[in-house]
Amino acid sequence: MRIAFAGNPNSGKTTMYNALTGRNEHVGNWAGVTVERKESTIKKSYYDGLEEMIAVDLPGAYSMSPFTSEESITSGYVKNEKPDVIINIVDATNLSRSLFFTTQLLELDIPVVVALNKSDITEKKQTQINEKLLAEKLGCPVVKTVSTESGHEGLKKVVSEAISLKGKQQKAPYVQPDINLKNKAAVEAADRKRFEFVNGIVKQVEKRKVYTKDKNVQDKIDSVITHKIIGIPIFAGIIFLVFYISQTTLGTWIADWLVAWIETFQGWVGGLMENTNPLLQALLVEGIIGGVGAVVGFLPLVMVMYFLIALLEDCGYMARATVVLDPIFKRVGLSGKSVIPMVIGTGCAIPGVMACRTIRNERERRTTAMLTPFMPCGAKIPVIALFAGAFFADAWWVSATMYLVGIVLVLLGALLVKRVTGQKYRKSFFIMELPEYKLPSLKRACVSMLERGKAYIVKAGTIILVCNTAVQIMQSFNWQFQLVEEGAESTSILASIAHPFAILFIPLGFGVWQLAAASVTGFIAKENVVGTLAVVYGVTNLIDTDELALVGSGSEVATIMGLTKVAALAYLMFNLYTPPCFAALGAMNSEMKSGKWLLGGICLQLATGYTVAFLVYQIGTLITTGSLGTAFVPGLIAVIVFALIILWRIRKSDKEFAAQYSLHSA
Amino acid sequence: MNLLEAKEGEEYIIKEIITDDEELNAFLFSLGCYSGEPITVISHLKGGCVVSIKDGRYNIDSDLAQAISI
Repeated sequence: MRIAFAGNPNSGKTTMYNALTGRNEHVGNWAGVTVERKESTIKKSYYDGLEEMIAVDLPGAYSMSPFTSEESITSGYVKNEKPDVIINIVDATNLSRSLFFTTQLLELDIPVVVALNKSDITEKKQTQINEKLLAEKLGCPVVKTVSTESGHEGLKKVVSEAISLKGKQQKAPYVQPDINLKNKAAVEAADRKRFEFVNGIVKQVEKRKVYTKDKNVQDKIDSVITHKIIGIPIFAGIIFLVFYISQTTLGTWIADWLVAWIETFQGWVGGLMENTNPLLQALLVEGIIGGVGAVVGFLPLVMVMYFLIALLEDCGYMARATVVLDPIFKRVGLSGKSVIPMVIGTGCAIPGVMACRTIRNERERRTTAMLTPFMPCGAKIPVIALFAGAFFADAWWVSATMYLVGIVLVLLGALLVKRVTGQKYRKSFFIMELPEYKLPSLKRACVSMLERGKAYIVKAGTIILVCNTAVQIMQSFNWQFQLVEEGAESTSILASIAHPFAILFIPLGFGVWQLAAASVTGFIAKENVVGTLAVVYGVTNLIDTDELALVGSGSEVATIMGLTKVAALAYLMFNLYTPPCFAALGAMNSEMKSGKWLLGGICLQLATGYTVAFLVYQIGTLITTGSLGTAFVPGLIAVIVFALIILWRIRKSDKEFAAQYSLHSA
Repeated sequence: MNLLEAKEGEEYIIKEIITDDEELNAFLFSLGCYSGEPITVISHLKGGCVVSIKDGRYNIDSDLAQAISI
């Protein structure tokens, strides 16, 4: 049988779903984390009996009439797919709002169990809820639950109540009279009556000592965190700390240790294979272990970051961050809600782009989906760390700058999109629920980190392994399928494919086929940039460059690549700000629902990556050496062409807008 | 007057929500924000304010605050 989980946003549906099914779906302390329907079987330990029980987690909704697209998933599912039972998760701290939806669910002729969730918080606030009376008034079972505690007795009880209700009838306590649903006034009058009914129940079942309208400690914290002047430095500080801990201190320390293990393993395998076919040896030792190892070496950085982001998501800060940044984002035509996709996007752009669904305004949603990939994601961390280590002695400012530039590009990009789409005078309102702060769960953060770590290793063992093997083979053979001789590397299949791209990169300071090949494989997965570089240059230890520096003179990796610092920085930025991997482009496509927007997004990202790299390389070279870098003029022409295309688009939409406007006034 | 002029911590009764965006109106309604219902401004911020509606806290921007007359 199927049990649907429905309720207001941020009432704890996914937390309960995770507890009952043992899944690790994304949870966070803000409204609108879940944007898709999820299904899984409930663990046997929560019920007796042989029948398979399927839990269906749905996005949160305040009412059966949907406001945003993810809310319509919920009402659509319970109305059309007819689950056997609905578990209505009710936020016990906000009974008066939640029961509105409950009474609507009770009218659907599907048995409902109310899970009075967050009952630990109501106890702390000394709010008394008479659940027996509530059950009587609603005509359905009511069970107190705490879904953050997987061992809480309420969870088992909710499931058993749900099972016993299957196929039974419940009498709806409130039935909306037959009205014309197209008549706005009639609908509103009916809804008012429903709320009156709910208020009547709440008055009888709930006794409060603490009133929500009174200012509390949390509001005092909020007044500092969302303060108009210091709110932004606090946001910047928190974000900086997340990246500093994961990418410059703790993360790198663990990574150094891990890399030593990988090297030992590689040496051991190399020893075993000493007398075998040199081609096979190269493929296995350098291509597979070296390339994949180079990527896996950066795993601790990604895991530490996921741990910290999970803490941040769990404590309730995310909703405040949207409040702090809303005034800034509004100026560039986005809303504060765009912050959430971008913060999630620093982990992975795919869930980041999907999180855009909670943004109601279509233009804002599409623009956010287009710009979220500018925030360097977890897969780009290895690339940043590699270049920070090889060229800049692990300086902390490298990764900080990459995120800062990402933010600047988001803002500039948003301005551009605003100009191109020409919708300057349209209003969009901002409303964001501020959830109560809570102590973040360390267990949850560990689970999120391990889950991510697992996904990263799986990716390294599949996609990246295959790519590295392919790169290694393409590099070893020429088009006649003969082994490439030493000194003739540029005749390999890989070199000849990558060469045309490399020509395009000459104005950016890295017109070498090896680097071009790495950038291209990056579109499959960004970690490939590191893996491919490791393979094509035959270096494996990319993270622990300090030790290499002790052996050779200066940084060996830097020497092998033969790049100047400025060109290395340009190359790094090019890889970060070009279009994301194909999977993320797919996510952009499904959120934008418009081929035109997708194409525009990809062009914008390509042009941005190219322009940023060009400016960094040419200006940087001019400052450091006193003269311009290679192929300045062709590069400049390309950048001017980009600018002209954008100007032309802005002109065009300005004209269209003016034409539309004059029609309206005529 | 509208919410922007409201005193912090004082409970007001909503008179009207002035918007031609029907969906927004319905959404606010489902939160319990409609004429005749109480609303309290907890604090005024740059570009908006924090309000208490029923038992929830929300941040709303100035545009929306202006649309809620009390």
